[in-house]
Amino acid sequence: MALLPKRLTQLTLRQQEERSFYLFILPWLIGFVLFTGGPVVYSFLMSLTNWTGIKTRDWVGLDNYIHLLTLDPNFWIVMKNTFTYGIASVILGTLLALAVAILMNQKIPGIRILRTLYYLPSVTSGIAIAIMWGWMFNPKAGLINFLLSLFGIQGPNWFSSTLWAMPGLIIVSLWGIGPNMIILLAGLQGIPQQLYEAARIDGANRWHEFRYVTVPMLSPVLFYVAVITMIGSFQIFENVLVLTNGGPGTATRVFVFDLYQNAFVNSRMGYASAQAWILCVIIMVLTWLMFRISRRQVQYEVVEE
Amino acid sequence: MENKKLSRRDFLKAAAASAAGAAMFTQLGQIATTFASPSQQDAVVLKFAVHWELAFQPTQEAWDTKYTAEHPNVTIEKIYNTWADHNAIVLTWAAAGELPDIVYIHGTRAVPWGKGDILLDIKDRMEADKAFDWEGIFQEALRLYNVDGHQFAIPYDHGPILLGYNKDAFDAAKIDYPTEKWTTDDFVKAAKALTIPGQQWGFGADVSLGNESYPAHLGIFGGATFNDKEDGLLLDTDESRTALNFWFDLMHKDHVISDAAEIASVGAGGADARLSGQFAMFRIATWDIPSFHDLSTFKYDVAPWISGPAGQHTGSFGSGFGATATTKHPDEAWAYLSEYLSKEGMEFMWAKSGRGSPAREAAYQAFLDAPIVPEHSQYFLDAMKNYAVTGHPYQTVTGPEVLTVITDNVTLLGTGEIDVDTFIKNVTEQSAPIFAR
Repeated sequence: MALLPKRLTQLTLRQQEERSFYLFILPWLIGFVLFTGGPVVYSFLMSLTNWTGIKTRDWVGLDNYIHLLTLDPNFWIVMKNTFTYGIASVILGTLLALAVAILMNQKIPGIRILRTLYYLPSVTSGIAIAIMWGWMFNPKAGLINFLLSLFGIQGPNWFSSTLWAMPGLIIVSLWGIGPNMIILLAGLQGIPQQLYEAARIDGANRWHEFRYVTVPMLSPVLFYVAVITMIGSFQIFENVLVLTNGGPGTATRVFVFDLYQNAFVNSRMGYASAQAWILCVIIMVLTWLMFRISRRQVQYEVVEE
Repeated sequence: MENKKLSRRDFLKAAAASAAGAAMFTQLGQIATTFASPSQQDAVVLKFAVHWELAFQPTQEAWDTKYTAEHPNVTIEKIYNTWADHNAIVLTWAAAGELPDIVYIHGTRAVPWGKGDILLDIKDRMEADKAFDWEGIFQEALRLYNVDGHQFAIPYDHGPILLGYNKDAFDAAKIDYPTEKWTTDDFVKAAKALTIPGQQWGFGADVSLGNESYPAHLGIFGGATFNDKEDGLLLDTDESRTALNFWFDLMHKDHVISDAAEIASVGAGGADARLSGQFAMFRIATWDIPSFHDLSTFKYDVAPWISGPAGQHTGSFGSGFGATATTKHPDEAWAYLSEYLSKEGMEFMWAKSGRGSPAREAAYQAFLDAPIVPEHSQYFLDAMKNYAVTGHPYQTVTGPEVLTVITDNVTLLGTGEIDVDTFIKNVTEQSAPIFAR
């Protein structure tokens, strides 16, 4: 204490902690305000202009938003595609991550190696993965159609079919379940074993244990995973760019791809900024909805003092 | 040794002496600069942004070494972007006020960058520079960068679309190679004879209506995508309809052109399907030559594009270089460009290696002599001189957006999910609000 300046020693412990807290978060806060907060505010201002990304920057008020919502023929196509992809990849991605996490929670030899293997795809370059999936979905020589052929099924033309291109992208999204699997695994390992023992004493079978112990205890983690996956899935871009380029036609034109096209191909940066804000609002509303709906389903542990 | 402590007074003395020394050193530096030789005084650093890949960068460095040896006051500082990112990066620089002095410009970027005050109008410098033979540049290439009378860039590579053919496939089928006199009838006859169902297509990989491709596919029937002003489409005409039916009937009825699924099965993962050797004939441009040389496993050559009822037509496109509007060294930037894009510059940089077809006829012989170009490459020059046109859109800011609508719908024609009439109806309807804007 003798090393501390006199004024600091006069502060209460709580005040000292507060001061330390603000000092420690200050570098991040400065970075956030300068490099994220600033551009966010700027992009909103740009969304109220007809900025081409280069020169023209006239104030147009809400015209971009009005045009997007009422006149842009692509907007509702893009919305439909994005929601289709988002809903499917959240449901399938979360369920698959949970299933794999349960498998990875077994006490069997080599489980750590298996966990590493399942996580490995998540540390691979996104573009490389997309190209690899392009080959996997090759209608003639791809692994997927080969596997289907073993069951007598003739695989579709995946990314060159308006019907199958979106399901193809959704399947590709499942490749990235590794981080969710790790989060759910940590959640599973945090469930006290006594609860399972108590359930078994009460005559619960495996399904009952899963339904009445695992799911409720894991619900906050599952909810977190679902929200994070939803936010990520609504921002899908690179797989679309590499695998389908938004096609065939507009079959896989999703929100961020359309935004990118407007910003960097069509020189409509103001319009693209408005799209970014609409996407932001959609994600915020969906997150809020998920919180509302989950109030009864998600059970947080309450520590009573 | 006595451990002597530094007193506060001694420390202050030492600090003051150091500060005075540093100030004097700085002052001496300024005095030295004042009396420096003129060449040192006029030292200029030109920042130059281009997208050359690692393997081609030594050629650029060699040129710059040569240039800076002749212009010792100039230093060229390169910024190598990737091809995919260059356009977006330039926009970011422009927004931040950090543009370099010289930039690479793809043909489609001349209008947005020129009208957006990214590029410097170099028309007066170009015309006033007696040593720079601007009239020796292909006019079709030069006009790609001419926006409302302002010249925003000088082309370095501008190539036409020709008919490439797989010599091995022709030899195996005992069919004569395409000639200068080939018409659509000759083409169809050969394409059918060369098709081996499931293995080889008479023509491929796709039928594109992009800038450089539509004059080849539609122009020979008198059709086009855009009108000359680019404020309307010419797809809903008898000529364009006939042309589209010609190509897509060959695809979906005769099966001699690969459809979208077949292309995907041959060239998945971003690979160029044409390099598979499964297409007896294909569109080919000069910028394709390096990859055909390096990656194809079959013998190939080029022939003039086929003639149709409306004669012989093909498209051409390319890239150039320009100075930026914010450069503090416009004279030095022009001096560099004028040598870089001179006959000697084009020969050294692109023609000798066959990497690109030079945008001026005088440099073409070096390209024709390059070790990697196909045997009958003089047809590229012949097309540039006689029948290749620069494909629209390149004059309007909304052009690329309409082109995206066309391309989206062409993919549906390629999958066979829509017919030609629906294609024309879709494109007309979807592009109307863009034109209206």
